[in-house]
Order: sequence, then structure tokens, then C-alpha cells
Amino acid sequence: MNSPEDELKRKNIRLAWILGAFALIVLITAFPFWQNIFKVLGSAVK
Amino acid sequence: MSYTTTMNDDAHHHNPTGWRRWLFSTNHKDIGTLYLLFALTMLFMGGASAMLIRAELFQPGIQLLDPDLYNNLVTNHALLMIFGAVMPAAAGLANWMIPLMIGAPDMALPRMNNLSFWILPAAGTMLILSFVVPFFPGGGSQINTGWTLYPPLSVQVGMSMDFLIFAIHLLGISSVLASINIIVTLLNMRAPGMTMMKMPMFCWTWLVTAFLLILVVPVLAGGVTMLLFDRHFGTSFFDAAGGGDPVLFQHLFWFFGHPEVYVLLLPSIGVLSHIIPTFSRKPLFGYKSMVGAMIAVATIGMVVWAHHQYTIGMSLGAVSYFMIGTIIISIPVGLMIFNFIATMWRGAMTFETPMLFAVAIIMMFTFGGLSGVMLAVVPADMQYHDSMFVVAHFHYVLMPGAVFGLFAGVFYWLPKWTGHMYDERLAKIFFWINVTGFNITFFPQHFLGLAGMPRRIIDYNVMFTEFNAISSIGAMIFGFSHLLLLYIIIKTIRGGEKATAQVWEGAKGLEWQVPSPPPFHTWETPPSIKQVQS
Repeated sequence: MNSPEDELKRKNIRLAWILGAFALIVLITAFPFWQNIFKVLGSAVK
Repeated sequence: MSYTTTMNDDAHHHNPTGWRRWLFSTNHKDIGTLYLLFALTMLFMGGASAMLIRAELFQPGIQLLDPDLYNNLVTNHALLMIFGAVMPAAAGLANWMIPLMIGAPDMALPRMNNLSFWILPAAGTMLILSFVVPFFPGGGSQINTGWTLYPPLSVQVGMSMDFLIFAIHLLGISSVLASINIIVTLLNMRAPGMTMMKMPMFCWTWLVTAFLLILVVPVLAGGVTMLLFDRHFGTSFFDAAGGGDPVLFQHLFWFFGHPEVYVLLLPSIGVLSHIIPTFSRKPLFGYKSMVGAMIAVATIGMVVWAHHQYTIGMSLGAVSYFMIGTIIISIPVGLMIFNFIATMWRGAMTFETPMLFAVAIIMMFTFGGLSGVMLAVVPADMQYHDSMFVVAHFHYVLMPGAVFGLFAGVFYWLPKWTGHMYDERLAKIFFWINVTGFNITFFPQHFLGLAGMPRRIIDYNVMFTEFNAISSIGAMIFGFSHLLLLYIIIKTIRGGEKATAQVWEGAKGLEWQVPSPPPFHTWETPPSIKQVQS
């Protein structure tokens, strides 16, 4: 049986990960990055 | 709104000492203090840059600085003030006050809190290095882009730009970590009985601010990363010759930059939401509408970024949308101002220093907001764009709206933090010199801009001499007045009249139930909250 403190700690960490993942998604979607990475890779292959 | 508490157990007495106390601290009060000290240091550095700029502009011609150094100072003034002073100061207030206000023993993630702060000195060092490296052999050219970092100029600048990009990444990581911590604390750590709609307004403003930061800081990080790739890895995100578009960077930057204005403003609005009721001895008028207005400001503020870019050649439909959206923001902002005035209406008001600042903020921020409505109108902005009018406008928004709000908060909570009352007479002298100096500095800049003086130039036409001289004199008064602020803070920390737990007669909320200064550990047993008045 977990104590309420442990339960709260777990809840806090879970929410922090969710928010962190959200920030990461915002970061990635801000990039027209992948498209240009492919262009760079494509031109390097050529 | 006020609360009664049933328990306040502060029996825990594990107080670390020496440098370990600060370096390894997981205590929200200590970390709050560190944030505030860092912000104060940066305030003086950014202020010194501003005073050099105004000293140069005292007369037409080039007197003290060369053009490159002038541009460097313009850039570092903005970056130091925004990222170094205002954001960390607001985070300092949040760290100190949020757990005390919601009855939590600490922030939800105390070790991450330590990390959030200690990234900052590293970031601050990188930021300062970015201004300094060009003075060393092989250091390249000085940063001359302004805080907006627009390419292609930012692609051409020397290695100082790489230091700056790294600094922005670190600052962004610190901000996002701090925001996550604040959101988790506010959502999970409130004392039993404190529902969201009983949460103190400062906490609400920080909840919205933290969400805003998580939404926009990664976009800036993405933008500057692409800039780094363009500089070093042969990409052409922002290079038209390689199929990229420099305007893309402007969109990414302002998608961050405009909400950033609200990131700077909202915590101070939260501070005012406590100060005005306290010194009016009335509850805040329209609590629910304040919450709604704040969410509306943040939401609309996210989708109007391109009003900073009217002159780039957008379609008529696009500029119309951004113009209308921007003007609509004045409705919720006006509602907040109305609520503050309605709170004061027929209140038993007294004018201690925090309240003096609050009243001054309402007047000057409203003035800055109105010049913002002028700038939101596309055909008018075509004339005002990149003029000193814009400089006057945003300083009237950000100084009262953000910095004076933080000053008000420091005076309001300083007795709680230190256990001593500050010197009210000196503080009032500081208020009057500071606010007068501010107005002498920035009010004439409206006229300069309207008469056609561009911003970000080291030299100007002799027709602008008089107003520039007045503005520079004001800037010296304004700048040096902050030494008095420093003296008052040091004096209060060192001693003075003992502060009671409640400090201010009209103060309500959990933070006033703990002694002044609060013990190292507070609310280890959550208080039980019962709303007794709304």
C-alpha cells in the first residue's frame, strides 16, 4: 500500500512528464526542420 | 477572498547552512531568493547598457560609442532585461509565494526547481559572453541584430551569435522546467479545500503564464536552432538564395515574442490583484471575470503575433485579421483595469509604497496600452513602424506592466520575506524619483517617433535634439534611482522594525498566516481551508 506522499509524488512526476512531452511536441512541430533535413541529406547523397 | 486555517505545523528544523544551502537547495524560499538576486544583478547590468545608450543619444553626432558597440548595447539591454531580469524576478516571486499561498510544503518537484535556477547563471554567463567575445582577438563582429535576431544579419554575425543561441537554449530549458514545476504545483499541491476558483489570483496568473511559456518557448528554441543550422551546417531555412525565407524566422520569433509580452505582464497583474484589495481593504472586484479575462488575453495573444510584421508585405486579409485580433485584446485587458478601479472604488484606501506603484501602474500601463491600439491599426503602423514611438510604447507597457509590478510585489512581500518593515519614507522617495524619471525618459520619445526619428540609430537629425536631451536626463534620474532601491532592500534585510505575520492590515490569504519571516519549512501539515468571505 503506497502512502499518500508516494502517491502524490508519482502523480506530480507523471504530470511533469506529460507537460515535458507536450513542450517537446511544440518544439518539433515548430520546425520545417525534417523537410529541410531530407533536402540536405538528399543533396549530400547526390 | 480570505481563508481560515486550522493547522500550521512548522516543527521541522533541518536548516542547511553555508554555500551548500544555496547550491544544493531544494527549498522554495531559498530558490526564490536566488532568482530574485540573479534578477537584481541583471537589472543593474541591463540598466547600465540603457544608460550608455541614452548618454550617447544626449546630443546628435557620435560622442561616446561607435555604431557597432551601440547596436551591441541595444541588443544586450533588451536580452538582459527580458530574459535576465524580468522573467527570473517573476519566477522568484512565484517560488517564494506560490507554496505559501496554496498551503503546499514546497514546489512539487524541488530538485528540478534547483536545476531550473542553476541553469540560469550558466545561461547568463553565455549571454554576457555573447556581448563580450568580440572584444577578444578572433572574437568576430559584435551582435548588431537587436533582440529579434532577424536573419540574414544574424547569420552573418560572428561567433558571438553562437554564444547567444546557446544562451537562449539554456534560458528556454530553465523557463520550461520552471513552468512545468509551477503547473504541477498549482494543479496537484493545493491544500485540501482550495478549489481552482479559490486559488489566489497571483497563482492563477502564474498558471496561465506557465502554460504560455510551455507553448511558445519551444518555438523560439526551434527558430534559433534553425538559425544555428543556417550558420554552420549549410541549411537554408532563412536564406532566400537557397530556397528558404527570412520572413519565416520573423513568424517563428514573434509567435514566441508576442506571447512573451504577456509572460512578462501577467505575473505583475497577479501582484496587483493582491496589492489593490489589501490597500483598498476590499475583496478583489470580479475574481471570476479576472480569471476569464486573463485566459482570454493569453489565448488571443497567441494568435496575433504578426502585428509586429505589418510591413513585410502580408495579404490584406492577413493584416486585417491580425489588426482586428490585436485590437480585441484591449477588451479583456480593459476589463482587468476596470476590475482594479472597481476594487478601489469606495475602498478605505491607504497609499503605502506598493499601492502607490499599483495606482501608477494602472495609469501608465493604460497609456501604454492605448498607444498599442494606435500601433495595431495597420495604416497608422506603416508610419510609426521602427520609430521611437514604438520604443516609447513598449516601455510604457513593460516598465509599468512588468517591472513596476515586480517592484510593487517586492515592497509588498519584503516584510514577509525578511521579517522587517522596509523604510516607508525612503521607499516613497524611491517611488517618486523612479516614476518621474521614467516619464521624463519615455514620454518625449512619443513625440520623437511621431516626428520621424527612427529607433536603433546612434545618430540623429538635429531637429530631434531637445526631446532627446530631455529623455537622456530622465534616463539618468531613472537609472540612478535604482541604487536607492538597492539600499532600501539591503537596509531591510539587515534590520528594521519587526514585521508581524499579517504585515498589512488588509492583507488576506494563507501567506499572511505564517510568521514573518516564515520558518524554513512551512505547511508541512496542509492547512484546512474554509472560505469565509468572497
